[in-house]
Amino acid sequence: MPGVMSDSGNYDALAIIPHSSDASNPRIYSIRSHGLTDPLARLSISWARGNTLRVSLLQSDAVDEQRPGGQVLEVKLTSAEGGEISGAQWRKIAYGSVAPFSLLQSRKNSIEASRYKKDWWEHVMEYSREISSLLGNSNSSPSPIIEDAKVILKKVEEPISLKAAWELMEIFYADKQAQIWLPERLVDWLADYDCLLSGTQPTVHLKLVAFQKGLVTIQTVENDTEYWETLSSALAVGWLDVVVKLLRMHGSYLFDQLGKREIENGLVEAVALLISQMTRLRPDVPAKRLGECYNTKSEFMKAWEKWRAQITKLDCSAFWLQCDHQQTRAGLKNMLQIMLGNASILSNVTYHWIELYISHFLYIRPFTVGLESMYSLAQKCMQSKPISSRHKLMGLIIGILEENTEVILAECSRSFGPWMITHAIELLTAGSTQAEILIREQQPKLGGICIEELHRLGYSQILSSHALTWNIAPIYLTSCMKQGLGLLENLLYEQPVQHQQVLLKSLEICRLNGLDYVGNSLMKIAGVHYWKHGKKGSAVFWLQEARDELRLNRIAKHLFDFVGKSVSDESFKQWEGMLELLGSESRTAGGLEFLKRYRDFRKSLQQVSEGITTDAACISAEMLISLMKNPSTPQQFWLSLLFDSLKLLNWKDRPLLNVAQTNLLLNKLQELSLARLRPDFVDSDLPPEALKSVRLALASNLGRAILQE
Amino acid sequence: MADPVQIQRLPHDAYIDAVRWLPHFSTFTRHILLAAFDSDTSTPSLQTIQFSPSQSASSVTPQSLLPLPSRITSLRTCSSAFNPSRPIIAASTFSGSLLFLTADLIHGSLNLEFSVAEKGFHNGSVSGIDLSDNGSECVSVGEEGRINLISLEEEEGGFRRVFDSTGLVSYSAVKWASPVEFVTGGVGRFSLHWWDQRKPGGPVVLFKENWTDWGTTSGIVHSIDIHPSRKYTCLAGGSSGTVFAWDIRSPKESTILSSVGLNDAPTHSLVESDVWEVQYDNYTHSSKISNQSSSRILPAMTCSEDGILAVIEHGQQPTELLAEPCAINSFDIDRQNPSVFNCAPFNIIDTATLQDVVCSLEWESLAILTRP
Repeated sequence: MPGVMSDSGNYDALAIIPHSSDASNPRIYSIRSHGLTDPLARLSISWARGNTLRVSLLQSDAVDEQRPGGQVLEVKLTSAEGGEISGAQWRKIAYGSVAPFSLLQSRKNSIEASRYKKDWWEHVMEYSREISSLLGNSNSSPSPIIEDAKVILKKVEEPISLKAAWELMEIFYADKQAQIWLPERLVDWLADYDCLLSGTQPTVHLKLVAFQKGLVTIQTVENDTEYWETLSSALAVGWLDVVVKLLRMHGSYLFDQLGKREIENGLVEAVALLISQMTRLRPDVPAKRLGECYNTKSEFMKAWEKWRAQITKLDCSAFWLQCDHQQTRAGLKNMLQIMLGNASILSNVTYHWIELYISHFLYIRPFTVGLESMYSLAQKCMQSKPISSRHKLMGLIIGILEENTEVILAECSRSFGPWMITHAIELLTAGSTQAEILIREQQPKLGGICIEELHRLGYSQILSSHALTWNIAPIYLTSCMKQGLGLLENLLYEQPVQHQQVLLKSLEICRLNGLDYVGNSLMKIAGVHYWKHGKKGSAVFWLQEARDELRLNRIAKHLFDFVGKSVSDESFKQWEGMLELLGSESRTAGGLEFLKRYRDFRKSLQQVSEGITTDAACISAEMLISLMKNPSTPQQFWLSLLFDSLKLLNWKDRPLLNVAQTNLLLNKLQELSLARLRPDFVDSDLPPEALKSVRLALASNLGRAILQE
Repeated sequence: MADPVQIQRLPHDAYIDAVRWLPHFSTFTRHILLAAFDSDTSTPSLQTIQFSPSQSASSVTPQSLLPLPSRITSLRTCSSAFNPSRPIIAASTFSGSLLFLTADLIHGSLNLEFSVAEKGFHNGSVSGIDLSDNGSECVSVGEEGRINLISLEEEEGGFRRVFDSTGLVSYSAVKWASPVEFVTGGVGRFSLHWWDQRKPGGPVVLFKENWTDWGTTSGIVHSIDIHPSRKYTCLAGGSSGTVFAWDIRSPKESTILSSVGLNDAPTHSLVESDVWEVQYDNYTHSSKISNQSSSRILPAMTCSEDGILAVIEHGQQPTELLAEPCAINSFDIDRQNPSVFNCAPFNIIDTATLQDVVCSLEWESLAILTRP
């Protein structure tokens, strides 16, 4: 339990200190409370939405009217570091993934119906690309018109490892077209994300960054060993454009040097040319990347042999002997060895095992196909370059190469969170039948739900815990066959009804998902809430919407106490708004129906008191009888109704009520006298002689009516 | 009209409760006023951002930010007659207070002028406010059924109670029709009340719907607009995609522009859920308007819970301007037309009629539409 710390009597300085056995430093959350100076009588702490604590500070009773009796504060318990992705960015990803996810689900449903699964991966690819674009743009920064000759690495937005993980999943599972040139896709992947690995390990990227920093101070690059090392490393992982750009910085290119170092320059240029002509087994290369692409294996094979022959020829060339610059000669020779696939040199110039792995694909085994052979190669590379601390991406790669679905799921969930696993499952199931079976199979130990549903439920719980994302949780919950609907109901019931916006949102979700019964209950809850808070109009509105006659009848009894009981009473005017709400006959109004008839009756009575036509009076009398006959007319109104209608009862021209009608009214009057004896009787605020005068008027009317008949 | 509508979506990293254009001050930049809520720090704030329209790439830069004690429910702006660079802003809060501010467009700051305190003003949140055209008076309505008037010219912090329904009617929107008349919308059967300050004590005219075949007979009015040239016609939008026009001279009649609950709705309705805001759309050329008979309803723009921003014209198919996967909570049309913008890189000033609409989207972002 968090303890409360307070120094002296100053309650502006309350604090919650989390207590846990493993954390060495407790974290203190300070609470700002306004205007609470008196000693607190009570303090209660409970969980609010998500990871927020609700702290209620209640002051002692002896507080004057001007000051608040207490305060309720919410304290957000967050980890200080926050991780790679901020809360706002996570929400942006969550919002953005809703549309692609639901599109894919609806496509899945329609395709399953028509049993047409041939081009399914195209839909998955579309989905994957959209999700990937949410995680940041890889080539977002526009290239400057005049490129800085000294910039080898363009400054791009630091990619996030989540995107790197997503792309890995895409490469291996979604992109069926890329299966043939999988190694080349990994080359591209490493080019984009090698910087992420720099955090834990020395990498080629780190080497390049360091060299870039020192570049401005170096006079002649070719004398610098770093230059040649950087060149070989970059070449080994296939960053050809960087390598060629670096080579062109070679001092022999300078105008004043050209004459003296012709041979040397020729060699540098020859190597640069060979690099830019490197054969690649892929359909195309992105703009500004180098290499000659071949689509089919046989074409590539031919070209590759030719290319290697050229390298060998250059390697054996006599020009090397004429090259005076020792570093240049050694450096270039080293590069030729890399291109020829010298395993020991490759191992020397790379740092991370994945870099070595990529260099093997590029220069030794470009035809590696099948995960099995890829995995055995990876194991070899890992053995030669053991790593001290494993990056989370490496765990995922190994899982993928091992073809171990459980490991992939665990790595996705542990390292990249519930969002990743929920969305990446779509790729995994599209790419591997074995994974699909495992993920979609109902698991008795999970209570009969499948792994896919489990993760979706988990993700929707996270969405539900935030006030801004709870309303996208239903999208995921409705895709869960077994538990989704139940949890959706819970989620809707948890929403605060006091905010009309939230209530309307919940009702909209109910409408879209056909949860009319939940919507109905929500409207009832809202109605009762508004009633309790004195918003009578809203209360009646929501109870009417819910067609809750029971509660309408109950609140009607209370409402009638407010209604002015005399025709002359001006305050009845403000009831117009409420009456308007009750609307036409067909609406559920419960006991409130009376209000409408009462209003109509009053209107006609008013007309009677203004004009003096017998016809109008007759209509009023009819209305009086129907009101008195109606069981929904509350008893407390009987006397005032009759008292207001004295003029009708004493109508001069002729009696307006016949014998039967008069008897009915007399009976009601009798009933009323009996009811007076009951303890719960509410006496009307009419003059004391009212009863007497009504009785008299009825009696005389009865006499006249008998005479007339 | 060949150019398509340009749409720019801008993530904002905070929930946007309300959005308004600030009155023009310079020809090349426009200012947008936002009521935002940062959920990470739980701080509500008012923000101004500068919008520089341009044909190639319009740019947006944040200008000023003022933290507030409570979230905003309704926001109104009005140009100041004395100082055009300091427009007046009225903002009502969830906690039930009303704030009056000025925005300094030159120095980029927001200044709180005075506020009407919560106590005794409204009980609970203020659901709607409206500033009169000259910015001298503000009317506010609340869910608890109170209507208050605040004069900006008299003593600070004072208000006058126009009516208190003691909870029998809940108001949700309000709009001035003339300096002495205003219309309130509320919870009920699309409840609309017409008030005249010269006739105190209650509403002068009540709207009584006579819609037949009405599946869902009731609804809440979320937003009202009245065109200055036709002050007797009141445009209202609310539940079930309903948008209708009501002429107080014939209080029992109304023209339905859009609805789903109604079988005899005149046109196909794009929107099925709540219409959050309605505004008359002055985009149509003025010549076209003068040709229309006065019984015809002027075109109206609406935004809705199901993420559609559309223009509805009487007797025509609605035009969809924007369809989002999330709700469009509010929008504002830049009233000052035509706007001038800079055609980079040639610095030619293009005086083509352009009109910008700014929308706040539920998923913490803004969208700015530029119509050619």
